[in-house]
Amino acid sequence: MKSVNQEAIEHDPQQLHEDLHTIWGNPKGLRSLTIVNHTTLGLRFMVTGMVFFLIGGILAMLVRTQLAMPDQNFMSPDIYNQVTTMHGTVMMFLFAIPMLEGLAIYLIPKMIGARDLVCPRLTSLGYFCYLFGGIILTSSLIIEMAPSSGWFMYTPLSSKEFAPDLGSDFWLLGITFVEISAVSAGVELVVSILRTRTQGMALHKMPLFAWYILAMALMIVVGFPPLILGSVLLELERAVGMPFFQIAGGGDPILWQHLFWLFGHPEVYIIFLPAAGIVSTLIPVFAGRPIVGYGWVVAAIAIMGFISFGLWVHHMFTVGIPQLAQAFFSAASMLVAVPTAIQVFVWLATLWLGKPKMKLPMLWVMGFLIIFVCGGLTGVMLALVPFNWQVHDTHFVVAHMHYVLVGGMFFPLIAGLYYWLPLFSGRMPSENLGRWGFWLTFLGFNGTFLIMHWTGLLGMPRRVYTYEAGSGWEVYNLLSSVSSFVLSAGIAMVLLDIALHFRFGKPAKQNPWNADTLEWANSMPPSAYNFVSLPSVETRHPLWDEPNLPHTMAKGMHGLAVASHGRREMWGSDPITGKVREIIHLPGNSWWPLLAAAALAVVCISLLTRVYALAGIFAVIAGVFLLRWSWENGAHPNAAPDAGVKPGDPPLHSRTMDGPGLWAMAVFLIANGSFFLSYLFGWFYLWTVSPEWQMPDTPPLSLLIMGMAGGAVLAGGVVIEKLVRGLRQQRDAGLRASLYLAAALGALQVGLAGWALWRADLSPTQTTHDAVMLVGLVYALFHGGLAVILTVLQGMRVGYGYVGAQAPFEPAVVALLWRYNVATFWLLVGALVILPRVIGG
Amino acid sequence: MVRLHFTHPIHLIIGLTLWSLWFVAVYSGLSVVCAVAPPLPEAGALTGLNVALGGVSLITAVGLVALAWGGCQVAKQHQGRQRFHATVSAWLYLFSAFGVVFAGMPIISVPPCL
Repeated sequence: MKSVNQEAIEHDPQQLHEDLHTIWGNPKGLRSLTIVNHTTLGLRFMVTGMVFFLIGGILAMLVRTQLAMPDQNFMSPDIYNQVTTMHGTVMMFLFAIPMLEGLAIYLIPKMIGARDLVCPRLTSLGYFCYLFGGIILTSSLIIEMAPSSGWFMYTPLSSKEFAPDLGSDFWLLGITFVEISAVSAGVELVVSILRTRTQGMALHKMPLFAWYILAMALMIVVGFPPLILGSVLLELERAVGMPFFQIAGGGDPILWQHLFWLFGHPEVYIIFLPAAGIVSTLIPVFAGRPIVGYGWVVAAIAIMGFISFGLWVHHMFTVGIPQLAQAFFSAASMLVAVPTAIQVFVWLATLWLGKPKMKLPMLWVMGFLIIFVCGGLTGVMLALVPFNWQVHDTHFVVAHMHYVLVGGMFFPLIAGLYYWLPLFSGRMPSENLGRWGFWLTFLGFNGTFLIMHWTGLLGMPRRVYTYEAGSGWEVYNLLSSVSSFVLSAGIAMVLLDIALHFRFGKPAKQNPWNADTLEWANSMPPSAYNFVSLPSVETRHPLWDEPNLPHTMAKGMHGLAVASHGRREMWGSDPITGKVREIIHLPGNSWWPLLAAAALAVVCISLLTRVYALAGIFAVIAGVFLLRWSWENGAHPNAAPDAGVKPGDPPLHSRTMDGPGLWAMAVFLIANGSFFLSYLFGWFYLWTVSPEWQMPDTPPLSLLIMGMAGGAVLAGGVVIEKLVRGLRQQRDAGLRASLYLAAALGALQVGLAGWALWRADLSPTQTTHDAVMLVGLVYALFHGGLAVILTVLQGMRVGYGYVGAQAPFEPAVVALLWRYNVATFWLLVGALVILPRVIGG
Repeated sequence: MVRLHFTHPIHLIIGLTLWSLWFVAVYSGLSVVCAVAPPLPEAGALTGLNVALGGVSLITAVGLVALAWGGCQVAKQHQGRQRFHATVSAWLYLFSAFGVVFAGMPIISVPPCL
């Protein structure tokens, strides 16, 4: 850890701070909307998340008020359905995930010794999509047109027949909009963790929190697309009548359940993993010793990340699935208790072997341990099929879910917020107020939900707006409701404490908890660039092993302590060893993310109000904004026209073949692939299972034309690969012509596939077969068109001098899209054109 | 192949990926056969489908155990980062094998399409 930069010592550290501030500083006023900095945007995510949490909490209070006594008419059945649906939706989609993503966005660069996330404009786009999507969704409450089919939107209850008003549309469009934000954050967190760790921070030296966030981000990337697909299909069914989930046309409502829970169960772990990451960060700090079994925790994280995708059917045990299949999912559901138990024992062992200090954050960690273990145990009970059948759709399930989610996410979150408050504000929270808040919350929570287990075992169904007197549930419901108000008082006290500490909290000293991780090497509150210089880290506990590190970093005595070039820079490192490979230069503040998100919001509202022409126009406008944004990259004058670096420093990433954009594209294509595989799953599922599915006697898509289209995209892909290979060898002769040739081949593919679609004469509103086929072809046409546009833009950039042998990076990124297009198009040809001809209906 | 040596972190996910593929294969295989050509209910658990699913499970489990053993052997030869990757990967292979056996156990006794 001794890479002291002697040259920087001679610099004036104060001058260095000022220079870095000039480059990285946030603008004020209206221009603050252009900020792309992770610290500011992380805080915006969290503050917005807390606002939605309050909205969701008020909805919960309304529910408990309605259920406090039998035969109440405090709310009508329809309003009650809206309130419960929106409570679940707001808490899951607008609070839990964005809040934890916000925390990760704020912390990850600081923990791994970076100055920002790797795609800052994507952070900004994600934030605005989240904000606008959340506003659109919650506005439905004000006009009493909120979704009312439950937060899982089961068909046919959410279909046009049983939900004819706009509530379901608000949900489907709003949530899909918000999911752009989640996937964006997922992509850049993965790439940032893998490629921007500071010098020497090998994978096995990485803070555990980063492992947890890496797993969470990958799970978002893989887990969200099935729901995005389901939402697109259901919205298409509702808007234009394509019968994906209707038996009569050849669809199946159970397909929705599969797509929803393919997302929905991993979602629980997407929420739990970062929360467990907080716990694994806090316990060693307050126990005053390294965590016991770092490797075991890494293994447990990996196991949870995978196994949690194999549990989705345990939400569907009552829909009529073969017993053997139920047994598979029952066993897998029990299996996931193993990694959870590993972590619990690791935490207990660390506390046992250390000298725990019961400071305020630890109080919340202890609350988490108690509540989450109870929730985990009822989870194992629910994994058993016969018990699951007995309590299905009762308040027992509601109680279990809240034990897991509130215990597993909310308690660690508050622990984390208290722990990192000094970093956010430079001030300490009030122990007294905080302890009152904790005990009221803890007692109120258990009073509400422990009792609810009994209510459920006594048979009270969920999602009913009232119950009759004499059912035997009265006293339990009353106790739950009273306790829920105690819980609210506790949360209000916590929020009051946090609000007051900004004004009255005692100033915090440097590293107030004696933590081991790099975020505490920041100033408090942190500067926009995090660190003046980036250290070499060869240990899991940099601040324990070298307590003077914050001081030497602030003095500019480590790497990249230079600002004279005017660029926002940080290390790009090897994903495994952490050795520095290149300097990543980041874009500055920009209007494009806000403009693109605003255009997408208009698309969302236009689709909601069925003004499709306007939606089309603004979709094009959003596309133009996004492409204009992509133009300001690499050697563009607004990015890094000068490739100069200090002698001995590695090259700029845009002058190599392996920058973070390549990784971002790869991770995005994993998300895209998950969407595509979900689509193929839907096609084969309906083909196999749907009782009214009908394969046409004559296959509608021409094998010859689709084969020619496949040949065109393959040829275009070969041209791109060849020119990328040339760029790797510093050859750029004929680069522009090759790019235009590839684009022409891509255009030929799009033209041929479009012609095949035209000739097919599909009836997508009549049969599910034609509807699914149309969606697949539109998907291929969109991707083909996108590849053509991006390739043409690359050709233009060659002309401007932004791409070439000296700046060879970007065509390699586009080449990944071409590979993806070749693979998915041929898979589509196989699934939609060849297989039906081979095995028939 | 050097990059795929047991000390490479890609092994942290290969075992669980194989578990996932096995899980998808047995679940989808079961579902398709039950939808297209279900065995007679009176055959109980002694059906060709159970045998096929059991065979796939056995092969997968044995393969995963072999990979776990390989990871253990390699881990002994290294220190530091490489040892860490090989050791954790070996445990993950072993857990994946256990996951195949545990989740696949009902194949022995449960009729497939009831």
